[in-house]
Amino acid sequence: MDFALQYPYLIPLLPLIGAIIAGFFGARFLKGQSHWPIWLGVGAAAVLSLTLLVHALGLHEEPLKFSYTWFQWIKLGGSADGALGQPGKSFLVNFGYYFDPLTSVMLAVVCGIGFFITVFAAGYMKGEGGYYRFFAYLGLFIFMMTNLVMGENLIMLYLGWEGVGLCSYLLIGYYYDKPAAREAAKKAFLVNRIGDFGFALGIMLCFSAFGTVSYFGDPAVAGDGLLEMAAAGNLTEYQTCALTFIPFLLMVGAFGKSAQFPLYVWLPDAMEGPTPVSALIHAATMVTAGIYMIARCGSLFVGNEAAMITVAAVGAFTAIFAGFIALRQFDLKKVFAYSTVSQLGFMFVGVGVLAPVAAVFHLVTHAFFKALLFLSSGVVMHAMNGILDLRQMSGLKEVLPKTRWLMLIGCLALAGMVPFSGFFSKDEIIHAAEHGALHGHIGRLILTVVLLATAFMTAYYTFRLYFRVFEGPLKVPEAPADAHGHGGHGHDDHGHGGHDSHGHGDHGHHNHEPMIMIAPLAVLAVGALLAGFLNWPVHGLGHFLGESESFKLAYKVASARFAELDPVPMGQPSSEAHGLVNAVMVISFVIAALGIFTAYVFHLKDRALADRKAAGMPAVTSLLDGKFWVDEIFIAGIVEPLRMFGKVLWNIDKYLVDGIVAAVGWTPQLGGWVLKLGVQRGSLQGYAAAMLFGVVVILVLVFM
Amino acid sequence: MTQLALQQYLIVGAIMFALGLIGFMTRRNLIVMFLSTELMFQGVTVNLIAFGHYHNNLYGQAFTIFVLVVAAAEASLALGLVVLLFRTKNTLDADAWRELKG
Repeated sequence: MDFALQYPYLIPLLPLIGAIIAGFFGARFLKGQSHWPIWLGVGAAAVLSLTLLVHALGLHEEPLKFSYTWFQWIKLGGSADGALGQPGKSFLVNFGYYFDPLTSVMLAVVCGIGFFITVFAAGYMKGEGGYYRFFAYLGLFIFMMTNLVMGENLIMLYLGWEGVGLCSYLLIGYYYDKPAAREAAKKAFLVNRIGDFGFALGIMLCFSAFGTVSYFGDPAVAGDGLLEMAAAGNLTEYQTCALTFIPFLLMVGAFGKSAQFPLYVWLPDAMEGPTPVSALIHAATMVTAGIYMIARCGSLFVGNEAAMITVAAVGAFTAIFAGFIALRQFDLKKVFAYSTVSQLGFMFVGVGVLAPVAAVFHLVTHAFFKALLFLSSGVVMHAMNGILDLRQMSGLKEVLPKTRWLMLIGCLALAGMVPFSGFFSKDEIIHAAEHGALHGHIGRLILTVVLLATAFMTAYYTFRLYFRVFEGPLKVPEAPADAHGHGGHGHDDHGHGGHDSHGHGDHGHHNHEPMIMIAPLAVLAVGALLAGFLNWPVHGLGHFLGESESFKLAYKVASARFAELDPVPMGQPSSEAHGLVNAVMVISFVIAALGIFTAYVFHLKDRALADRKAAGMPAVTSLLDGKFWVDEIFIAGIVEPLRMFGKVLWNIDKYLVDGIVAAVGWTPQLGGWVLKLGVQRGSLQGYAAAMLFGVVVILVLVFM
Repeated sequence: MTQLALQQYLIVGAIMFALGLIGFMTRRNLIVMFLSTELMFQGVTVNLIAFGHYHNNLYGQAFTIFVLVVAAAEASLALGLVVLLFRTKNTLDADAWRELKG
């Protein structure tokens, strides 16, 4: 167990080595075996992460708090005039890692779930062109993501932050011969840039105000870390002022990376990437980086009431907004994409109402069940030759019996049904929103109602999808259209003569559920089923996370600021006894059941009913089908004006600047042309005469 | 060698050069033009040798040997070219090649 603490850099390093091997030797040598370096690298990282987690769990008297400096990365300045930062302080960044319970939980999620997704991906991506490239990117992603969650300072976080953004871009654009995938990749990258700009400004302001970007500073020196200084009482005027802006700037970065309104637009388009990528990056890990960042930097945030209200409000709005859009999506992955946006909104509400434990709890359970749902829809897509339109399929439980059960578990967890994991984590956020000390009565009421409404919609759209796809009479899509481009990529050449082949009339003798894809799903399903008990009936996760210095400092700041603060959602022990079952639990159970029942009525009992109802409300359906026209508003309001502005500048450059340059070039050319007409006539004697004339002129000039 | 004798040599050289120049300028026949350039060469080499003798060293003569060698090489090349040009147009008139202007 100490091995992981002795060589913590192995956790990011091994996936990176795997990525390098797969990337440089995959095309030529490894070919179809390119998944091995990544399996080994990520698998080893997962084992190390889990030993770290076990280690952290085993040390209850003394919480895990360990920092490791690999090498000094950046050292700048040290000026005495204090123009930048505090007098005499240099900009010092260590390439170092910091471990506490929060880190170990995040690492276990990233590496653990990441490993199962890479296993699945080997089955899913079999035979695709650029197989090695896919796995090299995955390894690079795990490297970047582990740096993000393990980094001991904001610059390390930023390194990982940008790195996962890069990997996301590369993997969304994996099918780069498809224009839609290229566009989606660019969109994801550019939208994230907007957020990252704010994030970078926030980091700069942190340094400017506190003179350091390290969370906890030098372990030998007490109280020299950024988060510790922010939590200390003796703030200067400048620091107090900076703390009113830092949360907002950092928040912009979190909103971009974690797909919150209005920067969520990239995430649904990101579904152009291969499905394992959607599961890993765009559901389970990368998009939760914003939540992690706010939980980690709690002491910078919680003292600022306006910032916390903004976080909660944006989260709640995004949750219900994306929930509405998901109601009328017909593409399986799009439904889950909007659902991810919506669930991330829940997590933001969690951190916004001073319940970071609930947010991280939901992050963990969501990572399990959303990865499960995405991968299950990957299996469906695989079996249906790339078709994901739920209008074209029905009753697939006969074709995909195992996937059906796995998907059902995932759907129940997402819908928030007892006793699946999503129920407990979602309920905890709603409970915190309803109970929070931060917002007034009206604010708490609005938050609670919005979240409950979203929970209803979540249950409805999840089971709309489930009932449509897996229940009812069997109907499989006819033409192997390549609506998603994966159909033609040679999926069909695997799984022949499989272990449990079952012949179905329409689909020949293919085994649609190979073990390599089903086994990782089964593991994730166990997680989706049981992860809820991490924090219920005892607040195990809460106590564990609460030992993290970040949570303690955040509680210190918040308890000084707000009088009636419930310590439990911040992971701190409470003197009051908490009941196992609260009123919100009952309500959210009823609401989830109602949502599922509504979906049953409209999408299983009488499927035409939903269409009739929809036809009765053309305004609403067109609004939802158009996804509130957010993309169109962006294009008309921002993209097109910018494009026009760019065109104007381009024309100025082309005709004015380039024109001047070209004119300078033309002048001697024109002169030469004129001279050529008079002198260069092709007569040998003429040239000789000109030469003689020149010689005579020179002689005259020299001698006279 | 006196200065007077040097002057006479130089005058001979200058006359040869001038004759060559006039021939080059006035004649249209490629071979004659070529001969004229050779004449200009020799006018120059006469000067070189005269100066060498006047200064009582062999530099002029050595340089003249080089000129002769290069001229011989050039002559073989140029005559070859002239033959080719003649075969193409069946004439030796230099004006026939006006279209070679760049």
